[in-house]
Amino acid sequence: MKRWGLIFLVLMVALGVHAATQSTAQTIIATSLNSAPYSDAGTVASLPVSTNVNIIARQGAWYHVRLDSGQDGWLLMTSIRMNSTSSGSSGSSWGFGWLSSLFESGRSGATGVTATTGVRGLNTGDIANAKPNPQAANEITAWSATPQQAHQFAQQLDLKPEQVAYLQQVKGAQP
Amino acid sequence: MNMRACLEMIQRPLALILMLVLTSCANVGGSGVDLNSLFSALKNVKQAVKPADQQEEEQIGYATAATLLGAAKPINDPAVQEYVNKVGLWVALQSDRPNLPWHFAVVDSNDIDAFAVPGGYVFITRGLLLHMRSEAELAGALGHEISHVVLKQQLKALQQAAQLNLLGAAAQFELQQHGQNTQLFNNVANATRNLYSKGLDKQDEFEADRMGVVLAARAGYDPYGLLAVLQTLETVDPKSNGMQLLLATHPAPAARVALLSAEMQAGHMDRYGRQVEGTRRYQQMIKTLVSTSTRR
Repeated sequence: MKRWGLIFLVLMVALGVHAATQSTAQTIIATSLNSAPYSDAGTVASLPVSTNVNIIARQGAWYHVRLDSGQDGWLLMTSIRMNSTSSGSSGSSWGFGWLSSLFESGRSGATGVTATTGVRGLNTGDIANAKPNPQAANEITAWSATPQQAHQFAQQLDLKPEQVAYLQQVKGAQP
Repeated sequence: MNMRACLEMIQRPLALILMLVLTSCANVGGSGVDLNSLFSALKNVKQAVKPADQQEEEQIGYATAATLLGAAKPINDPAVQEYVNKVGLWVALQSDRPNLPWHFAVVDSNDIDAFAVPGGYVFITRGLLLHMRSEAELAGALGHEISHVVLKQQLKALQQAAQLNLLGAAAQFELQQHGQNTQLFNNVANATRNLYSKGLDKQDEFEADRMGVVLAARAGYDPYGLLAVLQTLETVDPKSNGMQLLLATHPAPAARVALLSAEMQAGHMDRYGRQVEGTRRYQQMIKTLVSTSTRR
């Protein structure tokens, strides 16, 4: 079963379709691999800088990852950087399996949109030379939601308004 | 009442009276009034205070929206458009400007970008939607754009660029006379072409990131969605066409990730990390976009 999976992956790469469910990243700091997505959870392993990890999922500020050894655990999302690809597509393919599986074969990129990038591009020149389209500005209002619709929509996912204070600028963290 | 409020109260009628006086002066021709110095005096008065009330902001926003939609038209997919409007309005309702006429639209480009327009318009490209995994990520990206509108950052930049303080008064006058105003429209269109191809000050972008995650958290979403989007964008080749406009108008994703994560940590946003992700609903709603993006 595992071997067929590998062959499938090789075929996908050969076709220019990146593996949709696997995404690799590297630790950018020395960090501990936690047993749960909390800072006070137990440590599973201590990882040096540049450790390869495979992303499984994200929960809040934490990624569930698997090491090459097969061991899994949780890392703060800011302790890793996704590996990118050189083709201009997104290397961060984790969580995009639903998209890639819908694409026709032969398309490249994790989300499959890369191949068409530039076809209907939007660059600084397009904006600088834009000819106003007032008709479109009128037409989009047909899709607008009412506050009542937004509330009903939120209830479907059990989205509840929370009291959250605005964040402060962190001194000294300005890039 | 402070000085600024006083000035704001008198400036609009003053501007109209001056306009009428100037018009009649011009009609009789050479009455000894120095029109140029009067105009520059009027301009200085108007620049000293920011007059844009909501009606003016909506007029400016309409012209800006029309100009941007001239560069990328809305996609013809009512289900996706209505979905993005519901997510967007739910997030906007948690902001300090819940009563603006909020209009969201997905525009027809596979490149990665989103735009905030004065008066409550927010546009997002199909390309950006296809680089997101969940409704929490969408809510974070829309939260960033909503924050620009709430903070009136584009409005201030457009006003400054096009000296719309003066034009605003002229626009009111002309609207009363003719019911429409092409001068205002054309000036805003020009300022839009310039602003949206160059971008805001990078501090404005960082501020919108900081507020955007809070709006998403207030709406009940996992606030780390925006950070996840930015981390995805970090992996897209910066030299690719799909990133050209975004990178020309925003700080690098890595810089935004570094700053935003530090601010979220300082603000203990991890308390909201287990809020709604909305992965299934997002993927269900967005999947029709995949087939449209593969055409042509």
